[in-house]
Amino acid sequence: MFLKIMFVLSALLTLGGAFLTASSKNLMHACVYLLACLFGVAGLYATLGADFLAAAQLVVYAGGVVILMLFAIMLTGGVQEFVNKFGLDKTPSMGSGKTYTIAGLSMIVTAFIVMKILAPVFKTPAQTDLPAFTSTVEKLGVLLVTDHVLAFEISSILLLGALVGAAVISRPRRGK
Amino acid sequence: MNSTVVSYLSQAPGYALAVNKLTELFGFDATGFVNFLLFFLVAFIVVNVMSAIGGLGTYAERKISADLQMRQGPNRVGPYGLLQFLADGVKMIGKEDVLPAQADRFLFLVAPLMCMVGVFASLAVLPFSNGFTLTNLNIGVFYLLGVSSLVGVGIFLGGYASNSKWSMLGGMRGASQIISYEVPVTLSILAIVLMTGSLSFDVITEAQGGLPHEWFVLHNPFTFIGFFVLFIGALAETNRAPFDLPEAESELVSGYHTEFTGMRFAFFALAEYVEVFVVCGVCAALFLGGYKVPFDLGTGELIMKTFPAVHPMLAKQIGNILQLKVFVLKTLLLYYVVIWIRWTLPRMRVDSLMVLCWKYLTPIALFNLVGCAVWLWAFEGKSVWTLIFKSGVAAAGGHH
Repeated sequence: MFLKIMFVLSALLTLGGAFLTASSKNLMHACVYLLACLFGVAGLYATLGADFLAAAQLVVYAGGVVILMLFAIMLTGGVQEFVNKFGLDKTPSMGSGKTYTIAGLSMIVTAFIVMKILAPVFKTPAQTDLPAFTSTVEKLGVLLVTDHVLAFEISSILLLGALVGAAVISRPRRGK
Repeated sequence: MNSTVVSYLSQAPGYALAVNKLTELFGFDATGFVNFLLFFLVAFIVVNVMSAIGGLGTYAERKISADLQMRQGPNRVGPYGLLQFLADGVKMIGKEDVLPAQADRFLFLVAPLMCMVGVFASLAVLPFSNGFTLTNLNIGVFYLLGVSSLVGVGIFLGGYASNSKWSMLGGMRGASQIISYEVPVTLSILAIVLMTGSLSFDVITEAQGGLPHEWFVLHNPFTFIGFFVLFIGALAETNRAPFDLPEAESELVSGYHTEFTGMRFAFFALAEYVEVFVVCGVCAALFLGGYKVPFDLGTGELIMKTFPAVHPMLAKQIGNILQLKVFVLKTLLLYYVVIWIRWTLPRMRVDSLMVLCWKYLTPIALFNLVGCAVWLWAFEGKSVWTLIFKSGVAAAGGHH
Protein backbone atom coordinates (compact mmCIF):
# COMPACT_ATOMS: atom_id res chain seq x y z
CA MET A 1 0.00 0.00 0.00
CA PHE A 2 2.70 2.42 1.12
CA LEU A 3 4.93 1.45 -1.79
CA LYS A 4 2.05 1.93 -4.21
CA ILE A 5 1.34 5.43 -2.89
CA MET A 6 5.03 6.29 -3.13
CA PHE A 7 5.17 4.87 -6.65
CA VAL A 8 2.19 6.93 -7.80
CA LEU A 9 3.63 10.09 -6.23
CA SER A 10 7.08 9.55 -7.81
CA ALA A 11 5.55 8.71 -11.18
CA LEU A 12 3.40 11.84 -11.07
CA LEU A 13 6.42 13.93 -10.09
CA THR A 14 8.47 12.42 -12.93
CA LEU A 15 5.79 12.85 -15.59
CA GLY A 16 4.72 16.29 -14.41
CA GLY A 17 8.32 17.47 -14.19
CA ALA A 18 9.12 16.11 -17.63
CA PHE A 19 6.02 17.70 -19.17
CA LEU A 20 6.73 21.08 -17.59
CA THR A 21 10.39 20.85 -18.64
CA ALA A 22 9.37 20.36 -22.23
CA SER A 23 6.61 22.98 -22.21
CA SER A 24 8.35 25.70 -20.20
CA LYS A 25 9.45 28.75 -22.21
CA ASN A 26 12.08 29.85 -19.72
CA LEU A 27 15.22 27.69 -19.70
CA MET A 28 15.95 28.31 -16.01
CA HIS A 29 12.43 27.23 -15.07
CA ALA A 30 12.83 24.17 -17.29
CA CYS A 31 15.97 23.30 -15.33
CA VAL A 32 14.11 23.48 -12.02
CA TYR A 33 11.30 21.30 -13.41
CA LEU A 34 13.98 18.90 -14.60
CA LEU A 35 15.25 18.74 -11.02
CA ALA A 36 11.75 17.74 -9.88
CA CYS A 37 11.63 15.13 -12.64
CA LEU A 38 15.00 13.68 -11.56
CA PHE A 39 13.81 13.55 -7.95
CA GLY A 40 10.79 11.62 -9.18
CA VAL A 41 13.08 9.16 -10.98
CA ALA A 42 15.06 8.73 -7.75
CA GLY A 43 11.76 7.97 -6.00
CA LEU A 44 10.94 5.38 -8.67
CA TYR A 45 14.30 3.69 -8.08
CA ALA A 46 13.66 3.70 -4.34
CA THR A 47 10.23 2.07 -4.73
CA LEU A 48 11.81 -0.59 -6.94
CA GLY A 49 14.23 -1.46 -4.12
CA ALA A 50 17.34 0.06 -5.74
CA ASP A 51 18.22 2.23 -2.76
CA PHE A 52 21.82 2.91 -3.72
CA LEU A 53 20.86 3.89 -7.25
CA ALA A 54 18.25 6.30 -5.86
CA ALA A 55 20.81 8.02 -3.63
CA ALA A 56 23.33 8.12 -6.48
CA GLN A 57 20.67 9.76 -8.65
CA LEU A 58 20.23 12.45 -5.99
CA VAL A 59 23.97 13.02 -5.51
CA VAL A 60 24.90 13.09 -9.18
CA TYR A 61 21.94 14.90 -10.72
CA ALA A 62 20.57 17.14 -7.97
CA GLY A 63 24.03 18.04 -6.68
CA GLY A 64 26.14 18.19 -9.78
CA VAL A 65 24.42 18.09 -13.13
CA VAL A 66 21.53 20.49 -12.43
CA ILE A 67 23.83 23.14 -10.93
CA LEU A 68 26.18 22.77 -13.89
CA MET A 69 23.26 23.15 -16.28
CA LEU A 70 22.09 26.26 -14.43
CA PHE A 71 25.62 27.67 -14.67
CA ALA A 72 25.85 26.86 -18.36
CA ILE A 73 22.47 28.42 -19.16
CA MET A 74 23.35 31.52 -17.21
CA LEU A 75 26.82 31.98 -18.69
CA THR A 76 25.69 31.41 -22.27
CA GLY A 77 22.76 33.80 -21.92
CA GLY A 78 20.13 31.22 -22.78
CA VAL A 79 17.37 33.09 -21.00
CA GLN A 80 15.78 35.58 -23.36
CA GLU A 81 12.40 37.04 -23.99
CA PHE A 82 10.76 35.06 -26.74
CA VAL A 83 8.56 37.95 -27.82
CA ASN A 84 10.00 41.00 -29.57
CA LYS A 85 8.92 44.53 -28.82
CA PHE A 86 5.97 44.31 -31.22
CA GLY A 87 4.57 41.32 -29.33
CA LEU A 88 5.44 38.86 -32.12
CA ASP A 89 6.75 35.39 -31.39
CA LYS A 90 10.51 35.36 -31.91
CA THR A 91 10.96 31.60 -31.64
CA PRO A 92 12.14 30.27 -35.00
CA SER A 93 10.41 27.23 -36.43
CA MET A 94 12.10 24.08 -35.31
CA GLY A 95 13.04 22.78 -38.77
CA SER A 96 12.25 22.55 -42.46
CA GLY A 97 10.46 19.90 -44.48
CA LYS A 98 13.72 18.08 -45.03
CA THR A 99 14.54 17.75 -41.31
CA TYR A 100 11.00 16.64 -40.47
CA THR A 101 11.18 13.92 -43.14
CA ILE A 102 14.53 12.65 -41.88
CA ALA A 103 13.38 12.74 -38.28
CA GLY A 104 10.16 10.87 -39.12
CA LEU A 105 12.00 8.13 -41.02
CA SER A 106 14.62 7.66 -38.35
CA MET A 107 11.89 7.56 -35.69
CA ILE A 108 10.14 4.73 -37.53
CA VAL A 109 13.40 2.78 -37.81
CA THR A 110 14.20 3.31 -34.13
CA ALA A 111 10.69 2.32 -33.12
CA PHE A 112 11.01 -0.97 -35.04
CA ILE A 113 14.31 -1.74 -33.34
CA VAL A 114 12.91 -0.91 -29.89
CA MET A 115 9.84 -3.05 -30.49
CA LYS A 116 12.03 -5.93 -31.62
CA ILE A 117 14.03 -5.62 -28.40
CA LEU A 118 10.98 -5.26 -26.20
CA ALA A 119 8.99 -8.11 -27.76
CA PRO A 120 10.47 -10.91 -25.57
CA VAL A 121 10.05 -8.76 -22.50
CA PHE A 122 6.28 -8.70 -22.85
CA LYS A 123 6.11 -12.43 -23.58
CA THR A 124 7.50 -13.37 -20.15
CA PRO A 125 4.82 -14.00 -17.52
CA ALA A 126 4.01 -10.92 -15.51
CA GLN A 127 5.64 -10.79 -12.11
CA THR A 128 3.02 -11.06 -9.41
CA ASP A 129 4.76 -9.36 -6.53
CA LEU A 130 7.98 -7.51 -5.90
CA PRO A 131 10.61 -9.43 -3.94
CA ALA A 132 11.22 -8.41 -0.36
CA PHE A 133 13.37 -5.34 0.16
CA THR A 134 17.08 -6.08 0.52
CA SER A 135 20.06 -3.79 0.56
CA THR A 136 21.80 -3.52 -2.80
CA VAL A 137 24.92 -1.71 -1.64
CA GLU A 138 27.05 -4.75 -0.85
CA LYS A 139 26.03 -6.65 -3.98
CA LEU A 140 26.77 -3.62 -6.14
CA GLY A 141 30.16 -3.08 -4.51
CA VAL A 142 31.22 -6.71 -4.86
CA LEU A 143 30.05 -6.96 -8.47
CA LEU A 144 31.75 -3.69 -9.44
CA VAL A 145 35.20 -4.88 -8.40
CA THR A 146 34.85 -8.51 -9.47
CA ASP A 147 32.69 -9.27 -12.51
CA HIS A 148 32.45 -5.78 -13.93
CA VAL A 149 35.87 -4.46 -13.02
CA LEU A 150 36.75 -3.79 -16.68
CA ALA A 151 33.70 -1.58 -17.28
CA PHE A 152 34.38 0.15 -13.97
CA GLU A 153 37.99 0.92 -14.88
CA ILE A 154 37.11 2.02 -18.43
CA SER A 155 34.53 4.48 -17.11
CA SER A 156 37.09 5.81 -14.64
CA ILE A 157 39.56 6.31 -17.51
CA LEU A 158 36.83 8.17 -19.42
CA LEU A 159 36.26 10.47 -16.46
CA LEU A 160 39.99 11.00 -16.01
CA GLY A 161 40.25 11.93 -19.68
CA ALA A 162 37.44 14.44 -19.29
CA LEU A 163 39.15 15.91 -16.23
CA VAL A 164 42.51 16.26 -17.99
CA GLY A 165 40.80 17.71 -21.06
CA ALA A 166 38.96 20.30 -18.96
CA ALA A 167 42.21 21.27 -17.25
CA VAL A 168 43.99 21.63 -20.60
CA ILE A 169 41.20 23.70 -22.17
CA SER A 170 40.81 26.06 -19.22
CA ARG A 171 44.55 26.55 -18.74
CA PRO A 172 45.69 30.09 -19.51
CA ARG A 173 48.05 30.07 -22.51
CA ARG A 174 51.40 31.64 -21.85
CA GLY A 175 53.58 33.36 -24.44
CA LYS A 176 50.73 34.81 -26.48
CA MET B 1 15.19 -4.24 7.00
CA ASN B 2 16.13 -0.76 8.07
CA SER B 3 15.35 -0.09 11.69
CA THR B 4 13.44 3.07 12.41
CA VAL B 5 12.21 4.94 15.42
CA VAL B 6 8.90 3.10 15.03
CA SER B 7 10.47 -0.34 15.11
CA TYR B 8 12.24 0.76 18.29
CA LEU B 9 9.12 2.14 19.97
CA SER B 10 7.12 -0.91 18.94
CA GLN B 11 9.04 -2.90 21.56
CA ALA B 12 7.30 -0.90 24.26
CA PRO B 13 4.23 -2.54 25.85
CA GLY B 14 2.09 0.53 25.21
CA TYR B 15 2.47 0.07 21.46
CA ALA B 16 0.74 -3.34 21.34
CA LEU B 17 -1.98 -1.99 23.63
CA ALA B 18 -2.62 1.00 21.37
CA VAL B 19 -2.67 -1.19 18.25
CA ASN B 20 -5.16 -3.61 19.85
CA LYS B 21 -7.44 -0.84 21.09
CA LEU B 22 -7.48 0.90 17.72
CA THR B 23 -7.99 -2.38 15.86
CA GLU B 24 -11.09 -3.01 17.97
CA LEU B 25 -12.27 0.52 17.40
CA PHE B 26 -11.79 0.63 13.61
CA GLY B 27 -12.48 -3.00 12.85
CA PHE B 28 -9.31 -3.43 10.76
CA ASP B 29 -5.62 -3.94 11.48
CA ALA B 30 -4.42 -0.62 12.87
CA THR B 31 -0.66 -1.37 12.82
CA GLY B 32 -0.01 0.75 9.75
CA PHE B 33 -2.11 3.58 11.13
CA VAL B 34 -0.27 3.58 14.46
CA ASN B 35 3.09 3.41 12.68
CA PHE B 36 2.12 6.38 10.54
CA LEU B 37 0.97 8.32 13.60
CA LEU B 38 4.24 7.57 15.42
CA PHE B 39 6.33 8.59 12.42
CA PHE B 40 4.30 11.76 12.02
CA LEU B 41 4.61 12.61 15.69
CA VAL B 42 8.37 12.00 15.88
CA ALA B 43 9.04 13.86 12.62
CA PHE B 44 6.90 16.74 13.90
CA ILE B 45 8.87 16.86 17.15
CA VAL B 46 12.23 16.64 15.36
CA VAL B 47 11.40 19.40 12.88
CA ASN B 48 10.11 21.70 15.60
CA VAL B 49 12.98 21.07 17.98
CA MET B 50 15.43 21.63 15.12
CA SER B 51 13.74 24.92 14.22
CA ALA B 52 14.03 25.95 17.85
CA ILE B 53 17.70 24.97 17.81
CA GLY B 54 18.16 26.98 14.62
CA GLY B 55 16.49 29.96 16.28
CA LEU B 56 18.55 29.55 19.41
CA GLY B 57 21.57 29.31 17.12
CA THR B 58 21.11 32.95 16.17
CA TYR B 59 20.89 33.80 19.88
CA ALA B 60 24.02 31.76 20.62
CA GLU B 61 25.82 33.44 17.75
CA ARG B 62 25.07 36.90 19.14
CA LYS B 63 25.78 35.98 22.73
CA ILE B 64 29.08 34.23 21.95
CA SER B 65 30.21 36.97 19.59
CA ALA B 66 29.37 39.50 22.30
CA ASP B 67 31.37 37.45 24.77
CA LEU B 68 34.35 37.32 22.43
CA GLN B 69 34.18 41.08 21.89
CA MET B 70 33.58 41.92 25.58
CA ARG B 71 30.05 43.14 25.03
CA GLN B 72 26.75 42.15 26.64
CA GLY B 73 24.80 40.92 23.66
CA PRO B 74 20.98 40.61 23.71
CA ASN B 75 19.79 40.88 27.32
CA ARG B 76 16.38 42.60 27.25
CA VAL B 77 13.87 40.03 25.96
CA GLY B 78 13.31 37.31 28.52
CA PRO B 79 15.90 36.04 31.00
CA TYR B 80 19.41 36.72 29.63
CA GLY B 81 17.77 37.74 26.34
CA LEU B 82 16.82 34.12 25.68
CA LEU B 83 13.59 35.01 23.90
CA GLN B 84 15.35 37.31 21.45
CA PHE B 85 14.93 34.84 18.60
CA LEU B 86 11.17 34.68 19.18
CA ALA B 87 11.00 38.46 19.06
CA ASP B 88 13.00 38.35 15.83
CA GLY B 89 10.63 35.76 14.41
CA VAL B 90 7.58 37.89 15.22
CA LYS B 91 9.30 40.86 13.62
CA MET B 92 10.08 38.80 10.50
CA ILE B 93 6.45 37.73 10.15
CA GLY B 94 5.34 41.33 10.52
CA LYS B 95 7.59 42.58 7.72
CA GLU B 96 6.33 43.33 4.25
CA ASP B 97 6.92 40.54 1.74
CA VAL B 98 8.69 42.39 -1.05
CA LEU B 99 8.93 40.79 -4.47
CA PRO B 100 11.32 42.81 -6.66
CA ALA B 101 9.63 43.97 -9.85
CA GLN B 102 12.24 42.48 -12.19
CA ALA B 103 12.68 39.26 -10.22
CA ASP B 104 11.95 35.85 -11.64
CA ARG B 105 8.75 35.25 -9.68
CA PHE B 106 8.64 31.44 -9.72
CA LEU B 107 12.31 30.92 -8.84
CA PHE B 108 12.19 33.67 -6.21
CA LEU B 109 9.39 31.84 -4.39
CA VAL B 110 10.92 28.38 -4.79
CA ALA B 111 14.54 29.11 -3.79
CA PRO B 112 14.12 29.53 0.02
CA LEU B 113 11.93 26.43 0.13
CA MET B 114 14.62 24.39 -1.61
CA CYS B 115 17.12 25.33 1.09
CA MET B 116 14.63 24.38 3.81
CA VAL B 117 13.65 21.08 2.18
CA GLY B 118 17.26 20.06 1.61
CA VAL B 119 18.21 20.67 5.22
CA PHE B 120 15.14 19.16 6.83
CA ALA B 121 15.27 16.08 4.59
CA SER B 122 18.76 15.39 5.90
CA LEU B 123 17.38 15.22 9.47
CA ALA B 124 15.77 11.88 8.57
CA VAL B 125 19.05 10.00 8.94
CA LEU B 126 20.82 12.08 11.59
CA PRO B 127 21.68 9.54 14.35
CA PHE B 128 20.34 11.19 17.51
CA SER B 129 20.52 7.93 19.44
CA ASN B 130 20.27 4.21 18.88
CA GLY B 131 16.49 4.20 19.03
CA PHE B 132 15.40 7.74 18.33
CA THR B 133 16.96 8.04 14.86
CA LEU B 134 14.10 8.66 12.44
CA THR B 135 15.37 5.96 10.12
CA ASN B 136 18.61 4.00 9.88
CA LEU B 137 19.06 3.89 6.13
CA ASN B 138 21.84 1.53 5.11
CA ILE B 139 22.93 4.27 2.69
CA GLY B 140 22.44 7.02 5.26
CA VAL B 141 25.70 8.91 4.60
CA PHE B 142 25.15 8.85 0.86
CA TYR B 143 21.53 9.97 1.23
CA LEU B 144 22.60 12.87 3.43
CA LEU B 145 25.16 14.02 0.85
CA GLY B 146 22.48 13.79 -1.83
CA VAL B 147 19.70 15.77 -0.21
CA SER B 148 21.99 18.39 1.28
CA SER B 149 23.19 19.27 -2.23
CA LEU B 150 19.71 20.70 -2.77
CA VAL B 151 20.79 23.59 -0.54
CA GLY B 152 23.37 24.59 -3.14
CA VAL B 153 20.71 24.71 -5.84
CA GLY B 154 18.51 26.82 -3.55
CA ILE B 155 21.29 29.32 -2.85
CA PHE B 156 22.20 29.60 -6.51
CA LEU B 157 18.60 30.05 -7.64
CA GLY B 158 18.00 32.57 -4.86
CA GLY B 159 20.91 34.62 -6.18
CA TYR B 160 19.80 34.29 -9.78
CA ALA B 161 16.11 35.00 -9.25
CA SER B 162 16.60 38.28 -7.36
CA ASN B 163 17.88 39.96 -10.52
CA SER B 164 20.45 41.96 -8.60
CA LYS B 165 24.20 42.04 -9.17
CA TRP B 166 25.07 41.41 -5.54
CA SER B 167 22.70 38.50 -5.24
CA MET B 168 23.95 37.05 -8.50
CA LEU B 169 27.59 37.19 -7.42
CA GLY B 170 26.72 35.74 -4.02
CA GLY B 171 24.73 32.92 -5.56
CA MET B 172 27.50 32.02 -8.02
CA ARG B 173 30.11 32.07 -5.28
CA GLY B 174 27.90 29.93 -3.07
CA ALA B 175 27.26 27.32 -5.74
CA SER B 176 30.89 27.04 -6.86
CA GLN B 177 32.07 26.89 -3.25
CA ILE B 178 29.61 24.16 -2.31
CA ILE B 179 30.43 22.05 -5.37
CA SER B 180 34.18 22.41 -4.83
CA TYR B 181 34.19 21.61 -1.14
CA GLU B 182 32.01 18.55 -1.67
CA VAL B 183 35.13 16.80 -3.00
CA PRO B 184 37.35 16.88 0.15
CA VAL B 185 34.31 16.37 2.41
CA THR B 186 33.18 13.28 0.53
CA LEU B 187 36.73 11.90 0.40
CA SER B 188 37.20 12.25 4.17
CA ILE B 189 33.81 10.64 4.79
CA LEU B 190 34.85 7.87 2.40
CA ALA B 191 37.88 7.10 4.59
CA ILE B 192 35.54 6.37 7.51
CA VAL B 193 33.24 4.34 5.27
CA LEU B 194 36.32 2.33 4.28
CA MET B 195 37.22 1.68 7.93
CA THR B 196 33.75 0.44 8.87
CA GLY B 197 32.63 -1.02 5.57
CA SER B 198 29.21 0.56 5.82
CA LEU B 199 27.33 3.65 4.69
CA SER B 200 24.93 3.51 7.64
CA PHE B 201 25.35 6.03 10.44
CA ASP B 202 24.28 3.39 12.94
CA VAL B 203 27.00 0.90 11.98
CA ILE B 204 29.64 3.65 11.85
CA THR B 205 28.70 4.88 15.33
CA GLU B 206 28.55 1.37 16.78
CA ALA B 207 32.07 0.70 15.45
CA GLN B 208 33.34 3.35 17.86
CA GLY B 209 33.33 3.38 21.63
CA GLY B 210 32.17 5.73 24.31
CA LEU B 211 35.59 6.84 25.50
CA PRO B 212 37.75 9.26 23.49
CA HIS B 213 40.49 6.75 22.66
CA GLU B 214 37.88 4.58 20.90
CA TRP B 215 36.70 7.39 18.64
CA PHE B 216 37.68 7.43 14.99
CA VAL B 217 39.34 10.82 15.33
CA LEU B 218 42.02 9.23 17.53
CA HIS B 219 42.01 5.89 15.74
CA ASN B 220 45.08 6.51 13.59
CA PRO B 221 47.00 9.55 12.27
CA PHE B 222 45.10 9.60 8.97
CA THR B 223 41.65 9.81 10.52
CA PHE B 224 42.98 12.50 12.85
CA ILE B 225 43.85 14.68 9.84
CA GLY B 226 40.66 13.58 8.10
CA PHE B 227 38.52 15.00 10.88
CA PHE B 228 40.00 18.45 10.41
CA VAL B 229 39.64 18.26 6.63
CA LEU B 230 35.99 17.30 7.08
CA PHE B 231 35.40 20.09 9.59
CA ILE B 232 36.98 22.76 7.38
CA GLY B 233 35.03 21.48 4.39
CA ALA B 234 31.82 21.50 6.42
CA LEU B 235 32.43 25.13 7.38
CA ALA B 236 32.79 25.99 3.70
CA GLU B 237 29.71 23.99 2.67
CA THR B 238 27.52 25.80 5.16
CA ASN B 239 28.94 29.19 4.09
CA ARG B 240 30.25 29.98 7.55
CA ALA B 241 33.13 32.34 8.19
CA PRO B 242 35.98 32.34 7.24
CA PHE B 243 34.28 30.99 4.10
CA ASP B 244 31.19 33.23 4.12
CA LEU B 245 32.02 34.72 0.73
CA PRO B 246 28.49 34.21 -0.66
CA GLU B 247 27.17 36.69 1.88
CA ALA B 248 30.25 38.87 2.35
CA GLU B 249 28.55 41.97 3.74
CA SER B 250 31.44 44.32 3.04
CA GLU B 251 31.43 43.50 -0.69
CA LEU B 252 28.01 42.10 -1.56
CA VAL B 253 25.62 43.80 0.93
CA SER B 254 24.21 40.44 2.01
CA GLY B 255 24.96 38.14 -0.91
CA TYR B 256 22.34 35.79 -2.26
CA HIS B 257 19.59 36.85 0.16
CA THR B 258 19.98 40.61 -0.33
CA GLU B 259 16.58 40.98 -1.97
CA PHE B 260 14.69 38.61 0.31
CA THR B 261 12.52 40.05 3.05
CA GLY B 262 10.49 38.83 5.99
CA MET B 263 9.94 35.11 6.33
CA ARG B 264 11.66 34.30 3.03
CA PHE B 265 14.88 35.71 4.44
CA ALA B 266 14.16 33.87 7.70
CA PHE B 267 13.90 30.59 5.76
CA PHE B 268 17.42 31.10 4.40
CA ALA B 269 18.77 32.01 7.82
CA LEU B 270 17.00 29.11 9.53
CA ALA B 271 18.20 26.67 6.87
CA GLU B 272 21.77 27.86 7.43
CA TYR B 273 21.67 27.47 11.21
CA VAL B 274 19.99 24.06 11.07
CA GLU B 275 22.48 22.96 8.43
CA VAL B 276 25.33 23.91 10.73
CA PHE B 277 23.75 21.69 13.39
CA VAL B 278 23.38 18.85 10.87
CA VAL B 279 26.99 18.97 9.65
CA CYS B 280 28.27 19.25 13.24
CA GLY B 281 26.14 16.19 14.02
CA VAL B 282 27.64 14.35 11.06
CA CYS B 283 31.18 15.25 12.20
CA ALA B 284 30.31 14.03 15.71
CA ALA B 285 28.75 10.80 14.45
CA LEU B 286 31.56 9.93 12.07
CA PHE B 287 34.59 10.94 14.11
CA LEU B 288 33.66 11.72 17.71
CA GLY B 289 31.82 8.55 18.66
CA GLY B 290 28.35 9.91 17.92
CA TYR B 291 25.82 8.87 20.51
CA LYS B 292 28.01 6.28 22.25
CA VAL B 293 27.93 6.53 26.06
CA PRO B 294 30.78 4.95 28.06
CA PHE B 295 30.39 1.77 30.13
CA ASP B 296 27.35 0.26 28.33
CA LEU B 297 25.11 2.94 29.82
CA GLY B 298 23.67 3.74 26.41
CA THR B 299 22.25 0.30 25.68
CA GLY B 300 20.83 0.06 29.20
CA GLU B 301 22.80 -3.15 29.93
CA LEU B 302 24.57 -1.69 32.96
CA ILE B 303 21.28 -0.47 34.43
CA MET B 304 19.70 -3.88 33.83
CA LYS B 305 22.61 -5.65 35.52
CA THR B 306 22.73 -3.34 38.53
CA PHE B 307 18.98 -3.11 39.05
CA PRO B 308 17.45 -6.37 37.79
CA ALA B 309 14.02 -5.24 38.98
CA VAL B 310 13.84 -2.49 36.34
CA HIS B 311 11.78 -3.25 33.23
CA PRO B 312 14.22 -3.79 30.29
CA MET B 313 12.34 -1.29 28.11
CA LEU B 314 12.68 1.37 30.82
CA ALA B 315 16.42 0.72 31.03
CA LYS B 316 16.62 1.02 27.26
CA GLN B 317 14.71 4.29 27.32
CA ILE B 318 17.03 5.73 29.97
CA GLY B 319 20.00 4.60 27.88
CA ASN B 320 18.54 6.20 24.78
CA ILE B 321 17.95 9.49 26.53
CA LEU B 322 21.58 9.41 27.73
CA GLN B 323 22.69 8.73 24.16
CA LEU B 324 20.56 11.60 22.90
CA LYS B 325 22.13 13.91 25.46
CA VAL B 326 25.67 12.82 24.57
CA PHE B 327 25.04 13.30 20.86
CA VAL B 328 23.50 16.75 21.30
CA LEU B 329 26.30 17.73 23.68
CA LYS B 330 29.03 16.79 21.20
CA THR B 331 27.18 18.51 18.38
CA LEU B 332 26.67 21.69 20.36
CA LEU B 333 30.35 21.74 21.34
CA LEU B 334 31.24 21.65 17.65
CA TYR B 335 28.57 24.31 17.08
CA TYR B 336 30.34 26.49 19.62
CA VAL B 337 33.64 25.97 17.80
CA VAL B 338 31.99 26.97 14.50
CA ILE B 339 30.73 30.24 16.01
CA TRP B 340 34.07 30.80 17.74
CA ILE B 341 35.90 30.43 14.42
CA ARG B 342 33.49 32.84 12.75
CA TRP B 343 34.25 35.62 15.20
CA THR B 344 37.98 34.96 15.28
CA LEU B 345 39.18 34.55 11.71
CA PRO B 346 38.91 37.15 8.93
CA ARG B 347 37.17 36.28 5.66
CA MET B 348 39.21 34.62 2.93
CA ARG B 349 39.63 35.85 -0.63
CA VAL B 350 37.87 33.97 -3.43
CA ASP B 351 41.08 32.73 -5.01
CA SER B 352 42.63 31.60 -1.73
CA LEU B 353 39.39 29.76 -1.00
CA MET B 354 39.73 27.74 -4.20
CA VAL B 355 43.46 27.26 -3.65
CA LEU B 356 42.76 25.88 -0.16
CA CYS B 357 40.18 23.49 -1.55
CA TRP B 358 41.91 22.15 -4.65
CA LYS B 359 45.61 22.46 -3.80
CA TYR B 360 45.56 21.55 -0.11
CA LEU B 361 42.40 19.89 1.17
CA THR B 362 41.70 17.61 -1.79
CA PRO B 363 45.23 16.13 -2.00
CA ILE B 364 45.31 15.74 1.79
CA ALA B 365 41.95 13.98 1.72
CA LEU B 366 43.13 11.67 -1.07
CA PHE B 367 46.31 10.93 0.88
CA ASN B 368 44.18 10.17 3.96
CA LEU B 369 41.98 7.80 2.02
CA VAL B 370 44.98 5.83 0.75
CA GLY B 371 46.58 6.03 4.22
CA CYS B 372 43.47 4.59 5.88
CA ALA B 373 43.39 1.76 3.33
CA VAL B 374 47.06 0.98 4.02
CA TRP B 375 46.46 1.13 7.77
CA LEU B 376 43.55 -1.29 7.45
CA TRP B 377 45.70 -3.66 5.44
CA ALA B 378 48.82 -3.38 7.61
CA PHE B 379 47.35 -3.41 11.13
CA GLU B 380 44.00 -5.14 10.42
CA GLY B 381 42.05 -2.07 11.49
CA LYS B 382 43.44 -1.90 15.02
CA SER B 383 43.67 1.54 16.55
CA VAL B 384 47.00 3.13 17.40
CA TRP B 385 46.25 2.74 21.13
CA THR B 386 45.73 -1.00 20.79
CA LEU B 387 49.07 -1.27 19.01
CA ILE B 388 50.88 0.78 21.67
CA PHE B 389 49.27 -1.28 24.43
CA LYS B 390 50.21 -4.52 22.70
CA SER B 391 53.82 -3.49 22.15
CA GLY B 392 53.98 -2.35 25.77
CA VAL B 393 52.70 -5.71 26.92
CA ALA B 394 55.19 -7.42 24.63
CA ALA B 395 58.04 -5.29 25.99
CA ALA B 396 57.03 -6.22 29.52
CA GLY B 397 57.34 -9.87 28.58
CA GLY B 398 53.65 -10.54 28.19
CA HIS B 399 53.97 -13.00 25.28
CA HIS B 400 51.96 -16.12 25.60
